[in-house]
Amino acid sequence: MLNPAMNQLVASLLDGDHAAALAEARRLRASGLAAEQIVTEGLEAAMRRLDDKCTVESFNLLEIMLVGRAVSAVANELYPEGVPPAQGRATFVIATLEGDVHDLGKNIAKMVLIGKGYRVVDLGKDCPLATLANAALREHAQAVLVSGLITSVIPQVRKVRAALDECGLAGIKLVAGGAALKQSSAEALNVDYVAETAFDGARYLDGLMREAP
Amino acid sequence: MNSLERIKAALAFAPLDRTPAVPQLFGHAAVLAGVALGDYLRDGSLLARCQLGALQRYGHDVVFAFMDLCVETEAVGSTLQYREHQYPDVASYALASAGDVAALAVPDPAVAGRMPQLLRAAGILRGELGDTVLVAGCVAGPMTLATQLLGIETALYLAADDPASFEKILDFSAAVSIRYGVAQIEAGVHLPIVFDPSASPAVVPPQFFRELLLPRLQRVFAAFRQAGALANWLNIAGPTAATLPYYPEAGVDIANFDYYVEPQRAQQLLPATCLDGNLKSLDFVEAQPEQIAAAATRLVEVFVARGGFLLSSGCEIPPEAKPENIAAMVAACRKG
Repeated sequence: MLNPAMNQLVASLLDGDHAAALAEARRLRASGLAAEQIVTEGLEAAMRRLDDKCTVESFNLLEIMLVGRAVSAVANELYPEGVPPAQGRATFVIATLEGDVHDLGKNIAKMVLIGKGYRVVDLGKDCPLATLANAALREHAQAVLVSGLITSVIPQVRKVRAALDECGLAGIKLVAGGAALKQSSAEALNVDYVAETAFDGARYLDGLMREAP
Repeated sequence: MNSLERIKAALAFAPLDRTPAVPQLFGHAAVLAGVALGDYLRDGSLLARCQLGALQRYGHDVVFAFMDLCVETEAVGSTLQYREHQYPDVASYALASAGDVAALAVPDPAVAGRMPQLLRAAGILRGELGDTVLVAGCVAGPMTLATQLLGIETALYLAADDPASFEKILDFSAAVSIRYGVAQIEAGVHLPIVFDPSASPAVVPPQFFRELLLPRLQRVFAAFRQAGALANWLNIAGPTAATLPYYPEAGVDIANFDYYVEPQRAQQLLPATCLDGNLKSLDFVEAQPEQIAAAATRLVEVFVARGGFLLSSGCEIPPEAKPENIAAMVAACRKG
Protein backbone atom coordinates (compact mmCIF):
# COMPACT_ATOMS: atom_id res chain seq x y z
CA MET A 1 0.00 0.00 0.00
CA LEU A 2 1.51 3.31 -1.06
CA ASN A 3 1.99 5.95 1.61
CA PRO A 4 -0.16 8.87 0.27
CA ALA A 5 2.60 11.29 1.21
CA MET A 6 4.72 9.58 -1.48
CA ASN A 7 2.18 9.83 -4.33
CA GLN A 8 3.77 12.81 -6.01
CA LEU A 9 7.30 11.45 -5.67
CA VAL A 10 6.34 8.06 -7.08
CA ALA A 11 4.46 9.67 -9.97
CA SER A 12 7.43 11.89 -10.85
CA LEU A 13 9.83 8.96 -10.68
CA LEU A 14 7.64 6.83 -12.96
CA ASP A 15 7.33 9.73 -15.41
CA GLY A 16 11.13 9.80 -15.53
CA ASP A 17 10.98 13.46 -14.53
CA HIS A 18 14.16 13.70 -12.50
CA ALA A 19 13.87 17.43 -11.78
CA ALA A 20 10.34 17.08 -10.35
CA ALA A 21 11.33 13.97 -8.39
CA LEU A 22 14.30 15.76 -6.88
CA ALA A 23 12.18 18.77 -5.92
CA GLU A 24 9.58 16.54 -4.29
CA ALA A 25 12.23 14.56 -2.38
CA ARG A 26 13.65 17.83 -1.04
CA ARG A 27 10.16 18.93 -0.01
CA LEU A 28 9.58 15.63 1.81
CA ARG A 29 12.89 15.92 3.65
CA ALA A 30 12.09 19.50 4.63
CA SER A 31 8.73 18.35 5.99
CA GLY A 32 10.59 16.04 8.37
CA LEU A 33 10.56 12.63 6.63
CA ALA A 34 13.68 10.54 7.15
CA ALA A 35 15.85 9.67 4.16
CA GLU A 36 15.38 6.00 4.85
CA GLN A 37 11.60 6.35 4.74
CA ILE A 38 11.79 8.15 1.38
CA VAL A 39 13.88 5.27 0.03
CA THR A 40 11.70 2.47 1.35
CA GLU A 41 8.29 4.05 0.76
CA GLY A 42 9.09 6.23 -2.25
CA LEU A 43 11.93 4.87 -4.39
CA GLU A 44 11.18 1.23 -3.70
CA ALA A 45 7.46 1.72 -4.36
CA ALA A 46 8.27 3.30 -7.73
CA MET A 47 10.58 0.43 -8.63
CA ARG A 48 7.91 -2.12 -7.69
CA ARG A 49 5.42 -0.40 -9.99
CA LEU A 50 7.97 -0.35 -12.80
CA ASP A 51 8.76 -3.99 -12.19
CA ASP A 52 5.05 -4.89 -12.49
CA LYS A 53 4.85 -2.99 -15.77
CA CYS A 54 8.00 -4.42 -17.34
CA THR A 55 7.38 -7.79 -18.89
CA VAL A 56 9.97 -9.19 -21.28
CA GLU A 57 8.00 -7.73 -24.19
CA SER A 58 7.55 -4.27 -22.75
CA PHE A 59 10.93 -3.82 -21.09
CA ASN A 60 12.76 -1.02 -22.87
CA LEU A 61 15.99 0.68 -21.95
CA LEU A 62 14.78 4.22 -22.59
CA GLU A 63 11.96 4.07 -20.08
CA ILE A 64 14.06 2.27 -17.48
CA MET A 65 16.92 4.74 -17.93
CA LEU A 66 14.65 7.72 -17.39
CA VAL A 67 13.18 6.26 -14.21
CA GLY A 68 16.64 5.13 -13.14
CA ARG A 69 18.07 8.61 -13.66
CA ALA A 70 15.32 10.07 -11.48
CA VAL A 71 15.84 7.43 -8.80
CA SER A 72 19.61 8.01 -8.82
CA ALA A 73 19.12 11.77 -8.55
CA VAL A 74 16.94 11.33 -5.46
CA ALA A 75 19.25 8.69 -3.94
CA ASN A 76 22.27 10.98 -4.45
CA GLU A 77 20.39 13.84 -2.85
CA LEU A 78 19.50 11.74 0.18
CA TYR A 79 22.89 10.06 0.47
CA PRO A 80 25.58 12.19 -1.21
CA GLU A 81 28.29 9.81 0.04
CA GLY A 82 26.39 6.72 -1.10
CA VAL A 83 23.98 4.55 0.85
CA PRO A 84 25.73 3.55 4.12
CA PRO A 85 26.30 -0.22 4.31
CA ALA A 86 24.45 -0.48 7.60
CA GLN A 87 21.40 1.13 6.08
CA GLY A 88 21.56 -0.46 2.63
CA ARG A 89 19.74 -3.77 2.54
CA ALA A 90 22.74 -5.65 1.16
CA THR A 91 25.84 -4.99 -0.90
CA PHE A 92 26.42 -6.32 -4.42
CA VAL A 93 29.37 -5.79 -6.73
CA ILE A 94 28.64 -5.48 -10.42
CA ALA A 95 30.85 -5.37 -13.51
CA THR A 96 31.15 -5.91 -17.22
CA LEU A 97 34.10 -8.26 -17.61
CA GLU A 98 37.40 -7.76 -19.36
CA GLY A 99 36.92 -7.93 -23.13
CA ASP A 100 33.49 -6.32 -23.09
CA VAL A 101 33.19 -2.53 -23.03
CA HIS A 102 29.40 -2.36 -23.33
CA ASP A 103 28.11 -1.30 -19.96
CA LEU A 104 24.58 -0.06 -20.55
CA GLY A 105 23.01 -3.29 -19.31
CA LYS A 106 25.15 -3.17 -16.19
CA ASN A 107 24.14 0.44 -15.57
CA ILE A 108 20.47 -0.46 -15.88
CA ALA A 109 20.81 -3.32 -13.38
CA LYS A 110 22.65 -0.99 -11.00
CA MET A 111 19.90 1.62 -11.22
CA VAL A 112 17.20 -0.94 -10.52
CA LEU A 113 19.05 -2.31 -7.49
CA ILE A 114 19.80 1.14 -6.05
CA GLY A 115 16.12 1.94 -6.49
CA LYS A 116 15.34 -1.10 -4.37
CA GLY A 117 17.57 0.16 -1.57
CA TYR A 118 20.61 -2.03 -2.17
CA ARG A 119 24.17 -0.80 -2.04
CA VAL A 120 25.85 -1.45 -5.38
CA VAL A 121 29.59 -1.24 -5.96
CA ASP A 122 30.11 -0.61 -9.67
CA LEU A 123 33.46 -1.82 -11.02
CA GLY A 124 32.78 -0.47 -14.50
CA LYS A 125 33.49 -2.17 -17.81
CA ASP A 126 36.42 -4.23 -19.12
CA CYS A 127 36.92 -5.40 -15.51
CA PRO A 128 39.60 -8.05 -14.77
CA LEU A 129 38.46 -11.11 -12.82
CA ALA A 130 40.87 -10.45 -9.94
CA THR A 131 39.53 -6.92 -9.51
CA LEU A 132 36.00 -8.27 -9.33
CA ALA A 133 36.83 -10.98 -6.80
CA ASN A 134 38.93 -8.67 -4.61
CA ALA A 135 36.17 -6.06 -4.56
CA ALA A 136 33.59 -8.68 -3.55
CA LEU A 137 35.84 -9.66 -0.63
CA ARG A 138 36.66 -6.08 0.39
CA GLU A 139 33.07 -4.86 0.23
CA HIS A 140 31.61 -7.91 2.04
CA ALA A 141 29.31 -8.39 -0.93
CA GLN A 142 26.36 -10.75 -0.71
CA ALA A 143 26.36 -11.38 -4.46
CA VAL A 144 28.43 -10.73 -7.58
CA LEU A 145 26.69 -9.60 -10.76
CA VAL A 146 28.16 -9.73 -14.26
CA SER A 147 26.63 -8.32 -17.43
CA GLY A 148 27.65 -9.20 -20.99
CA LEU A 149 26.49 -7.96 -24.38
CA ILE A 150 28.86 -9.96 -26.57
CA THR A 151 29.21 -13.72 -26.75
CA SER A 152 33.00 -13.60 -26.79
CA VAL A 153 33.00 -12.65 -23.09
CA ILE A 154 31.39 -15.97 -22.11
CA PRO A 155 34.72 -17.77 -21.44
CA GLN A 156 35.51 -15.01 -18.94
CA VAL A 157 32.15 -15.43 -17.23
CA ARG A 158 32.84 -19.13 -16.76
CA LYS A 159 36.02 -18.25 -14.85
CA VAL A 160 34.40 -15.94 -12.30
CA ARG A 161 33.46 -18.73 -9.92
CA ALA A 162 37.08 -19.94 -9.71
CA ALA A 163 38.32 -16.39 -9.11
CA LEU A 164 35.84 -16.00 -6.25
CA ASP A 165 36.83 -19.37 -4.81
CA GLU A 166 40.46 -18.25 -4.78
CA CYS A 167 39.46 -15.27 -2.64
CA GLY A 168 37.69 -17.51 -0.16
CA LEU A 169 34.25 -16.61 -1.48
CA ALA A 170 33.10 -20.09 -2.39
CA GLY A 171 29.53 -19.59 -1.20
CA ILE A 172 28.84 -16.18 -2.71
CA LYS A 173 25.99 -16.02 -5.21
CA LEU A 174 26.84 -15.19 -8.80
CA VAL A 175 24.28 -13.74 -11.23
CA ALA A 176 24.71 -13.14 -14.96
CA GLY A 177 22.63 -11.03 -17.33
CA GLY A 178 22.76 -9.06 -20.57
CA ALA A 179 21.89 -9.72 -24.20
CA ALA A 180 24.55 -12.40 -24.80
CA LEU A 181 24.55 -14.10 -21.43
CA LYS A 182 20.80 -14.49 -21.14
CA GLN A 183 20.79 -16.74 -24.21
CA SER A 184 22.85 -19.20 -22.21
CA SER A 185 22.10 -21.15 -19.03
CA ALA A 186 23.33 -21.00 -15.44
CA GLU A 187 24.95 -24.39 -15.90
CA ALA A 188 26.77 -23.42 -19.08
CA LEU A 189 27.99 -20.15 -17.57
CA ASN A 190 28.89 -21.69 -14.19
CA VAL A 191 26.77 -19.15 -12.31
CA ASP A 192 23.84 -19.42 -9.88
CA TYR A 193 21.30 -17.57 -11.95
CA VAL A 194 20.86 -16.04 -15.40
CA ALA A 195 18.57 -13.00 -15.33
CA GLU A 196 16.24 -12.36 -18.27
CA THR A 197 15.96 -8.66 -17.35
CA ALA A 198 17.31 -6.34 -14.66
CA PHE A 199 14.05 -6.77 -12.75
CA ASP A 200 14.20 -10.53 -13.03
CA GLY A 201 17.70 -10.42 -11.52
CA ALA A 202 16.54 -8.07 -8.78
CA ARG A 203 13.67 -10.43 -7.91
CA TYR A 204 16.12 -13.31 -7.62
CA LEU A 205 18.33 -11.23 -5.33
CA ASP A 206 15.31 -10.12 -3.28
CA GLY A 207 14.49 -13.78 -2.74
CA LEU A 208 18.04 -14.57 -1.67
CA MET A 209 18.09 -11.71 0.78
CA ARG A 210 14.78 -12.80 2.27
CA GLU A 211 16.21 -16.28 2.84
CA ALA A 212 19.49 -14.96 4.26
CA PRO A 213 19.88 -15.42 8.03
CA MET B 1 17.44 -22.90 -59.30
CA ASN B 2 20.48 -20.95 -58.14
CA SER B 3 20.74 -19.17 -54.80
CA LEU B 4 19.60 -15.79 -56.06
CA GLU B 5 16.64 -17.31 -57.93
CA ARG B 6 15.73 -19.21 -54.77
CA ILE B 7 15.71 -16.05 -52.67
CA LYS B 8 13.70 -14.20 -55.34
CA ALA B 9 11.16 -17.02 -55.29
CA ALA B 10 10.92 -16.83 -51.49
CA LEU B 11 10.39 -13.08 -51.76
CA ALA B 12 7.52 -13.65 -54.18
CA PHE B 13 6.03 -16.51 -52.10
CA ALA B 14 6.55 -18.63 -55.24
CA PRO B 15 7.37 -22.36 -55.34
CA LEU B 16 11.03 -23.18 -54.78
CA ASP B 17 13.29 -26.22 -54.70
CA ARG B 18 14.22 -25.79 -51.02
CA THR B 19 14.18 -23.19 -48.26
CA PRO B 20 16.98 -20.63 -48.76
CA ALA B 21 19.73 -20.73 -46.12
CA VAL B 22 20.90 -17.28 -45.07
CA PRO B 23 23.03 -17.72 -41.93
CA GLN B 24 24.21 -14.32 -40.72
CA LEU B 25 27.91 -15.04 -41.14
CA PHE B 26 30.03 -11.94 -40.79
CA GLY B 27 33.16 -12.17 -38.62
CA HIS B 28 32.83 -15.95 -38.59
CA ALA B 29 34.09 -15.93 -42.17
CA ALA B 30 37.40 -14.51 -40.90
CA VAL B 31 37.68 -17.08 -38.11
CA LEU B 32 36.95 -19.85 -40.59
CA ALA B 33 39.77 -18.63 -42.83
CA GLY B 34 42.21 -18.28 -39.92
CA VAL B 35 42.35 -14.52 -40.42
CA ALA B 36 42.41 -11.96 -37.59
CA LEU B 37 39.02 -10.26 -37.30
CA GLY B 38 40.76 -6.89 -36.99
CA ASP B 39 42.33 -7.41 -40.45
CA TYR B 40 39.12 -8.72 -42.01
CA LEU B 41 37.29 -5.58 -40.92
CA ARG B 42 39.75 -3.21 -42.59
CA ASP B 43 40.57 -4.95 -45.85
CA GLY B 44 37.83 -5.28 -48.44
CA SER B 45 39.70 -7.78 -50.59
CA LEU B 46 40.36 -10.00 -47.59
CA LEU B 47 36.74 -9.72 -46.47
CA ALA B 48 35.53 -10.79 -49.92
CA ARG B 49 37.95 -13.71 -50.02
CA CYS B 50 36.81 -14.93 -46.60
CA GLN B 51 33.13 -14.60 -47.52
CA LEU B 52 33.74 -16.63 -50.67
CA GLY B 53 35.58 -19.23 -48.59
CA ALA B 54 32.64 -19.51 -46.19
CA LEU B 55 30.25 -19.83 -49.13
CA GLN B 56 32.33 -22.65 -50.56
CA ARG B 57 32.48 -24.37 -47.18
CA TYR B 58 28.79 -24.19 -46.27
CA GLY B 59 26.99 -23.82 -49.61
CA HIS B 60 24.45 -21.33 -48.27
CA ASP B 61 22.64 -18.74 -50.38
CA VAL B 62 24.07 -15.33 -49.48
CA VAL B 63 27.35 -13.48 -48.95
CA PHE B 64 27.65 -10.35 -46.86
CA ALA B 65 29.65 -7.24 -47.68
CA PHE B 66 29.50 -6.20 -44.05
CA MET B 67 32.20 -5.12 -41.64
CA ASP B 68 30.60 -3.91 -38.38
CA LEU B 69 28.21 -1.28 -37.13
CA CYS B 70 30.99 1.24 -36.46
CA VAL B 71 31.89 1.92 -40.12
CA GLU B 72 29.54 4.87 -40.48
CA THR B 73 30.35 6.58 -37.18
CA GLU B 74 34.06 6.23 -37.91
CA ALA B 75 33.55 7.76 -41.36
CA VAL B 76 31.73 10.68 -39.75
CA GLY B 77 34.53 11.32 -37.25
CA SER B 78 34.33 8.95 -34.27
CA THR B 79 37.57 7.25 -33.20
CA LEU B 80 37.52 3.47 -32.87
CA GLN B 81 39.49 1.04 -30.80
CA TYR B 82 40.37 -2.03 -32.85
CA ARG B 83 41.15 -5.42 -31.36
CA GLU B 84 42.64 -8.45 -33.08
CA HIS B 85 39.79 -10.86 -32.38
CA GLN B 86 36.82 -8.63 -31.62
CA TYR B 87 34.68 -6.06 -33.35
CA PRO B 88 35.84 -2.49 -32.71
CA ASP B 89 34.27 -0.14 -30.20
CA VAL B 90 33.94 3.62 -30.28
CA ALA B 91 36.70 5.23 -28.21
CA SER B 92 35.51 8.81 -28.75
CA TYR B 93 32.25 9.86 -30.31
CA ALA B 94 31.94 12.20 -33.31
CA LEU B 95 29.37 14.32 -31.51
CA ALA B 96 30.46 15.89 -28.23
CA SER B 97 27.08 17.60 -28.03
CA ALA B 98 23.84 17.52 -29.98
CA GLY B 99 24.42 20.99 -31.42
CA ASP B 100 27.54 19.80 -33.23
CA VAL B 101 25.48 17.86 -35.77
CA ALA B 102 25.05 20.99 -37.91
CA ALA B 103 28.80 20.99 -38.53
CA LEU B 104 28.95 17.36 -39.66
CA ALA B 105 29.06 16.43 -43.34
CA VAL B 106 27.58 13.26 -44.78
CA PRO B 107 30.68 11.19 -45.58
CA ASP B 108 31.61 10.38 -49.16
CA PRO B 109 31.73 6.55 -49.33
CA ALA B 110 34.46 6.74 -51.98
CA VAL B 111 36.97 8.15 -49.52
CA ALA B 112 35.66 8.13 -45.95
CA GLY B 113 37.14 5.74 -43.39
CA ARG B 114 36.64 2.07 -44.25
CA MET B 115 33.74 2.71 -46.61
CA PRO B 116 35.92 2.40 -49.75
CA GLN B 117 37.15 -0.99 -48.53
CA LEU B 118 33.58 -2.16 -48.05
CA LEU B 119 32.71 -0.98 -51.57
CA ARG B 120 35.71 -2.89 -52.85
CA ALA B 121 34.45 -6.04 -51.13
CA ALA B 122 31.00 -5.53 -52.66
CA GLY B 123 32.51 -5.18 -56.14
CA ILE B 124 34.67 -8.28 -55.78
CA LEU B 125 31.80 -10.41 -54.47
CA ARG B 126 29.42 -9.34 -57.24
CA GLY B 127 32.16 -9.78 -59.83
CA GLU B 128 32.84 -13.32 -58.64
CA LEU B 129 29.23 -14.40 -58.10
CA GLY B 130 27.28 -12.35 -60.60
CA ASP B 131 23.62 -13.23 -60.25
CA THR B 132 24.11 -16.71 -58.84
CA VAL B 133 24.23 -15.85 -55.12
CA LEU B 134 22.68 -12.92 -53.28
CA VAL B 135 25.33 -10.29 -52.50
CA ALA B 136 24.05 -8.32 -49.52
CA GLY B 137 25.52 -5.05 -48.36
CA CYS B 138 24.78 -3.59 -44.95
CA VAL B 139 24.22 -0.19 -43.42
CA ALA B 140 23.56 0.93 -39.87
CA GLY B 141 20.00 2.18 -39.50
CA PRO B 142 19.30 5.78 -38.43
CA MET B 143 18.69 5.00 -34.76
CA THR B 144 21.79 2.85 -34.46
CA LEU B 145 23.99 5.46 -36.12
CA ALA B 146 22.53 8.18 -33.89
CA THR B 147 23.49 6.14 -30.82
CA GLN B 148 26.93 5.52 -32.32
CA LEU B 149 27.50 9.24 -32.90
CA LEU B 150 26.70 10.25 -29.32
CA GLY B 151 26.96 7.10 -27.21
CA ILE B 152 23.77 5.21 -26.47
CA GLU B 153 23.07 6.64 -23.02
CA THR B 154 23.63 10.23 -24.13
CA ALA B 155 21.52 9.63 -27.23
CA LEU B 156 18.60 8.14 -25.32
CA TYR B 157 18.59 10.91 -22.72
CA LEU B 158 18.74 13.48 -25.53
CA ALA B 159 15.78 11.81 -27.26
CA ALA B 160 13.77 12.29 -24.05
CA ASP B 161 15.04 15.72 -22.99
CA ASP B 162 15.43 17.47 -26.33
CA PRO B 163 13.54 15.57 -29.04
CA ALA B 164 13.96 18.33 -31.64
CA SER B 165 17.77 18.12 -31.44
CA PHE B 166 17.63 14.34 -31.48
CA GLU B 167 15.50 14.39 -34.63
CA LYS B 168 18.16 16.48 -36.38
CA ILE B 169 20.69 13.76 -35.57
CA LEU B 170 18.28 11.10 -36.83
CA ASP B 171 17.86 13.03 -40.09
CA PHE B 172 21.61 13.29 -40.50
CA SER B 173 21.95 9.57 -39.76
CA ALA B 174 19.30 8.69 -42.34
CA ALA B 175 21.18 10.76 -44.92
CA VAL B 176 24.37 8.80 -44.11
CA SER B 177 22.49 5.48 -44.43
CA ILE B 178 21.10 6.52 -47.82
CA ARG B 179 24.37 7.72 -49.31
CA TYR B 180 26.32 4.70 -48.07
CA GLY B 181 23.65 2.20 -49.09
CA VAL B 182 23.22 3.68 -52.56
CA ALA B 183 27.01 3.57 -53.01
CA GLN B 184 26.90 -0.13 -52.11
CA ILE B 185 24.22 -0.75 -54.74
CA GLU B 186 26.32 1.08 -57.31
CA ALA B 187 29.32 -1.02 -56.26
CA GLY B 188 27.45 -4.25 -56.92
CA VAL B 189 25.34 -5.44 -53.99
CA HIS B 190 21.88 -6.71 -54.83
CA LEU B 191 20.55 -4.96 -51.74
CA PRO B 192 21.87 -3.29 -48.60
CA ILE B 193 20.42 -4.74 -45.39
CA VAL B 194 19.51 -2.11 -42.82
CA PHE B 195 20.75 -3.20 -39.39
CA ASP B 196 19.15 -1.15 -36.66
CA PRO B 197 19.59 -2.93 -33.32
CA SER B 198 19.08 0.30 -31.36
CA ALA B 199 15.58 0.54 -32.87
CA SER B 200 14.61 -2.67 -31.06
CA PRO B 201 11.69 -2.49 -28.63
CA ALA B 202 14.24 -3.68 -26.07
CA VAL B 203 15.80 -0.24 -26.39
CA VAL B 204 12.98 2.15 -27.28
CA PRO B 205 9.21 1.75 -26.91
CA PRO B 206 7.03 0.98 -29.97
CA GLN B 207 5.55 4.49 -30.14
CA PHE B 208 9.09 5.88 -30.39
CA PHE B 209 9.64 3.54 -33.34
CA ARG B 210 6.39 4.60 -34.99
CA GLU B 211 6.78 8.34 -34.52
CA LEU B 212 10.52 8.91 -34.87
CA LEU B 213 12.06 5.95 -36.68
CA LEU B 214 9.42 4.80 -39.14
CA PRO B 215 9.53 8.04 -41.21
CA ARG B 216 13.33 7.82 -41.47
CA LEU B 217 13.27 4.14 -42.41
CA GLN B 218 10.67 4.93 -45.08
CA ARG B 219 13.04 7.54 -46.52
CA VAL B 220 16.00 5.14 -46.48
CA PHE B 221 14.14 2.27 -48.11
CA ALA B 222 12.52 4.50 -50.75
CA ALA B 223 16.00 5.68 -51.74
CA PHE B 224 17.33 2.14 -51.93
CA ARG B 225 14.42 1.04 -54.09
CA GLN B 226 14.94 3.97 -56.42
CA ALA B 227 18.64 3.10 -56.67
CA GLY B 228 17.77 -0.41 -57.81
CA ALA B 229 17.83 -2.57 -54.69
CA LEU B 230 16.41 -6.02 -55.36
CA ALA B 231 14.40 -5.77 -52.12
CA ASN B 232 14.40 -3.93 -48.82
CA TRP B 233 15.61 -5.94 -45.84
CA LEU B 234 15.33 -4.75 -42.24
CA ASN B 235 17.21 -6.52 -39.49
CA ILE B 236 16.26 -5.60 -35.92
CA ALA B 237 16.92 -8.17 -33.21
CA GLY B 238 15.15 -8.63 -29.89
CA PRO B 239 11.46 -8.74 -28.95
CA THR B 240 10.09 -7.00 -32.06
CA ALA B 241 6.48 -8.28 -32.03
CA ALA B 242 5.17 -4.79 -31.28
CA THR B 243 7.01 -3.15 -34.18
CA LEU B 244 6.89 -5.82 -36.92
CA PRO B 245 3.43 -4.65 -38.10
CA TYR B 246 4.94 -1.30 -39.12
CA TYR B 247 7.49 -2.87 -41.45
CA PRO B 248 5.33 -2.92 -44.61
CA GLU B 249 4.63 0.78 -44.10
CA ALA B 250 8.39 1.34 -43.92
CA GLY B 251 8.80 -0.36 -47.31
CA VAL B 252 10.28 -3.58 -45.94
CA ASP B 253 10.21 -6.70 -48.16
CA ILE B 254 12.27 -9.00 -45.91
CA ALA B 255 11.84 -8.82 -42.14
CA ASN B 256 14.25 -10.40 -39.70
CA PHE B 257 12.77 -11.79 -36.48
CA ASP B 258 14.67 -12.98 -33.45
CA TYR B 259 14.13 -15.94 -31.14
CA TYR B 260 11.91 -13.84 -28.86
CA VAL B 261 9.14 -13.93 -31.49
CA GLU B 262 7.47 -17.25 -32.21
CA PRO B 263 7.41 -18.02 -35.95
CA GLN B 264 3.62 -18.45 -35.96
CA ARG B 265 3.24 -15.01 -34.41
CA ALA B 266 5.62 -13.46 -36.94
CA GLN B 267 3.48 -15.00 -39.70
CA GLN B 268 0.33 -13.48 -38.21
CA LEU B 269 1.94 -10.07 -37.81
CA LEU B 270 3.41 -10.01 -41.32
CA PRO B 271 1.24 -12.25 -43.51
CA ALA B 272 2.51 -10.88 -46.83
CA THR B 273 6.15 -10.13 -45.97
CA CYS B 274 9.07 -12.50 -46.46
CA LEU B 275 10.51 -13.39 -43.05
CA ASP B 276 13.98 -14.47 -42.01
CA GLY B 277 14.90 -15.93 -38.65
CA ASN B 278 14.94 -17.00 -35.95
CA LEU B 279 17.46 -19.56 -34.61
CA LYS B 280 19.12 -18.48 -31.38
CA SER B 281 22.57 -17.09 -32.16
CA LEU B 282 24.35 -18.44 -29.11
CA ASP B 283 23.18 -21.96 -29.92
CA PHE B 284 25.66 -21.94 -32.80
CA VAL B 285 28.38 -21.73 -30.14
CA GLU B 286 26.95 -23.85 -27.33
CA ALA B 287 24.56 -26.40 -28.88
CA GLN B 288 25.28 -29.62 -30.74
CA PRO B 289 24.70 -30.07 -34.50
CA GLU B 290 21.73 -32.39 -33.94
CA GLN B 291 20.05 -29.71 -31.81
CA ILE B 292 20.60 -27.08 -34.51
CA ALA B 293 19.33 -29.50 -37.15
CA ALA B 294 16.18 -30.22 -35.13
CA ALA B 295 15.44 -26.53 -34.48
CA ALA B 296 16.10 -25.63 -38.13
CA THR B 297 13.89 -28.45 -39.40
CA ARG B 298 11.04 -27.35 -37.12
CA LEU B 299 11.29 -23.83 -38.49
CA VAL B 300 11.38 -24.93 -42.10
CA GLU B 301 8.28 -27.05 -41.51
CA VAL B 302 6.38 -24.14 -39.93
CA PHE B 303 6.84 -22.18 -43.15
CA VAL B 304 6.37 -24.94 -45.73
CA ALA B 305 2.72 -24.16 -46.42
CA ARG B 306 3.10 -20.39 -46.32
CA GLY B 307 6.42 -19.85 -48.14
CA GLY B 308 8.07 -16.44 -47.95
CA PHE B 309 10.83 -17.62 -45.64
CA LEU B 310 14.61 -17.54 -45.42
CA LEU B 311 16.12 -19.75 -42.74
CA SER B 312 18.45 -17.67 -40.62
CA SER B 313 19.55 -16.85 -37.13
CA GLY B 314 17.73 -14.10 -35.24
CA CYS B 315 20.95 -12.13 -34.92
CA GLU B 316 24.57 -12.51 -36.03
CA ILE B 317 26.04 -15.99 -35.71
CA PRO B 318 28.98 -15.30 -33.37
CA PRO B 319 32.44 -15.43 -34.94
CA GLU B 320 33.41 -18.26 -32.59
CA ALA B 321 30.46 -20.48 -33.68
CA LYS B 322 31.13 -24.17 -34.34
CA PRO B 323 31.33 -24.77 -38.11
CA GLU B 324 29.48 -28.08 -37.75
CA ASN B 325 26.49 -26.18 -36.34
CA ILE B 326 26.32 -23.88 -39.36
CA ALA B 327 26.66 -26.89 -41.65
CA ALA B 328 23.77 -28.54 -39.78
CA MET B 329 21.57 -25.51 -40.36
CA VAL B 330 22.30 -25.43 -44.09
CA ALA B 331 21.76 -29.18 -44.35
CA ALA B 332 18.30 -28.79 -42.78
CA CYS B 333 17.35 -26.51 -45.69
CA ARG B 334 18.41 -29.11 -48.20
CA LYS B 335 15.85 -31.47 -46.74
CA GLY B 336 12.96 -29.05 -46.87
